[in-house]
Amino acid sequence: MNERTVTGGVLVLLGGMSVLEARRLASLREEMVAGAVVGDDTFSWIIGWSFLLLGFYILVVARWPVTHVSFPAGAARRRLLISAGMLVAYYVITPYLGYTLSTLVVSTGLYHAMGSYRWPVAFLIGCLTTGAFYLMFRVWLHEPLPTGWVGI
Amino acid sequence: MDVLGHLASGFAAALSPVNLTMAVLGSLLGTLVGVLPGLGPTAAIAILFPLTAVLAPVPAIIMLSAIYYGAMYGGSTTAILLNIPGEVASVPTSWDGYPMAQQGRGGVALGVAAIGSFIAGTFGVVALTLFAPLLADQALRFGPPEYFALMVLAFTAVVSLSGASLSRGIAMALVGYLLALVGMGPATAQPRFTFGFQDLYGGVDLIALIVGLFAISEVFLGIEEARVAIAAKITNIFPSRADLRQSLPAILRGTGIGFFLGLLPGCAPSVTVFVAYDAEKKVAKQPERFGRGAIEGVAAPESANNATSSAGFIPLMALGIPASPPLALLLGGLTVYGLSPGPLLFEKSPDFVWTVIASLYVGNVILLILNLPLIGLWVRLTRIPYGILGPLILLLCFLGTYSVRNSLFDVGVSLALGVVGYVLRKYHWPLAPMVLSFILGPLLEKNLIQALSMSGGSLLIFVQRRLSLVLLVAAVALLLLSFWLIRGTVKRVELATAEGAELS
Repeated sequence: MNERTVTGGVLVLLGGMSVLEARRLASLREEMVAGAVVGDDTFSWIIGWSFLLLGFYILVVARWPVTHVSFPAGAARRRLLISAGMLVAYYVITPYLGYTLSTLVVSTGLYHAMGSYRWPVAFLIGCLTTGAFYLMFRVWLHEPLPTGWVGI
Repeated sequence: MDVLGHLASGFAAALSPVNLTMAVLGSLLGTLVGVLPGLGPTAAIAILFPLTAVLAPVPAIIMLSAIYYGAMYGGSTTAILLNIPGEVASVPTSWDGYPMAQQGRGGVALGVAAIGSFIAGTFGVVALTLFAPLLADQALRFGPPEYFALMVLAFTAVVSLSGASLSRGIAMALVGYLLALVGMGPATAQPRFTFGFQDLYGGVDLIALIVGLFAISEVFLGIEEARVAIAAKITNIFPSRADLRQSLPAILRGTGIGFFLGLLPGCAPSVTVFVAYDAEKKVAKQPERFGRGAIEGVAAPESANNATSSAGFIPLMALGIPASPPLALLLGGLTVYGLSPGPLLFEKSPDFVWTVIASLYVGNVILLILNLPLIGLWVRLTRIPYGILGPLILLLCFLGTYSVRNSLFDVGVSLALGVVGYVLRKYHWPLAPMVLSFILGPLLEKNLIQALSMSGGSLLIFVQRRLSLVLLVAAVALLLLSFWLIRGTVKRVELATAEGAELS
């Protein structure tokens, strides 16, 4: 599948979803506000039909520019995937480990993955970063950050 | 109170210790991010946006504006010294700035860029002071139909924010509108597009959207490109009298072109810098010097860039129309703090408006004072390894997104949008139209519903009221003008960069 087909297909799907949601909202409006000609469904209709029109236009009529895209390979891809993975891990572990510990773990991992620093060096920079963030956001700005099981 | 009275009270507030500190801090941080290779004003605002979330509205917007100015100046530093323009608006600067740096005159090029930026920026702010209140005086004539027409006029900015492909720009704008619909409906307060997920009832957070699309995706691109620091030596930064004599007319011409074109909603700096450079080449006695280190080739586009950016504050504040992606993010900043840019802003929040306008004057002076002596420092900062910088930006993005609503769900949204943004940018999709329509969506919907309720569902209300009709006609005219300007500029950029043009 090329970019044009994917784009057109996604837009048609989004349009279909919007039109279905608009139908649900329209019947809700008729139930809740008798006689109202416009409501929460109005814009959903407009957006839905615009998506459908644009999607079909792209699929059938439009001259789509060809974009040559090369995604990274080798070490660059590994760095990218590990960094993205570290962010997902950050999101998952923060409620359990709390902000401070998770930041230490994730920053160490990110420095190792993105900067290719050896683990002890990455850990040291991670400690410095976490300490600076802790002082700035927890101590100075009193940000209510998750504390997790450990309570820090 | 007259304009001068308002401005005086604005200066009193802008020069308060907190606001002045924010202006200095914003200028420094903006320049710091702007000088990093590949990062432009849009990325700078997106990365630093969360930092302002802990501030009160006035210092926060002052800081955001200063970040914008600072990052623009920083962008010209990398364009001149490293031949890496942070975004399209810095491309013409690199054509003559980099050859000047190769000839050992990089410092002079930076000095002229700073002086040109200062003159143009100050001219733009003076004009903002005089013109914006005139536009805003029309506030009382605006009802829902007029506001709706105004939003349609603002929507024409999508054309200039779309870059080379209008279809992609419109598709992104529609996705932005769709995301804006998620949450509770304004008419019945019933959830829509939430599909049973309670986390979606509060809607998608603007900062999560901006951070994900612009900041996180930027870091992913940086990792992929394995950005490295490049050494550059700077000697003298002060232009000689002959340099100034040569560049002053170019600065004035660039300022004029940048300012007057920048008044048109939807005319971004990425368009005016090319017009200014072309004009300079046309009036030059020896046009063959251009591209080989002509000082006018730096002075004119840099001045046009700053004049357009300052002029862009006029439609932004008076009409709520952003002319460029960074201004779209600033519009987002205003809405985050509960302020609706547009005709009523001057009436409802005069203290805020005049403090921000005064802070723009102050910001211009701060930039000049900071940048000329600190050029050596900025150059050294370009050598910070990306392996340190990238993780710091990502950690800041995580924290910033969380702190807005204390919501991990928002963090998840920004991470997902970071991946989406990365893929879209790889395919040269413009992201700014999505942010613009996400911001305008709720306003457009509210005014459409109110106007149609007034007319009993008849669309004729939009053409029966004179001001609304004028705004709609202006929207069509601007749309055509934008098409014409963009087409010419796309060709120019394609020739210059030998790749797909990304005007946004």
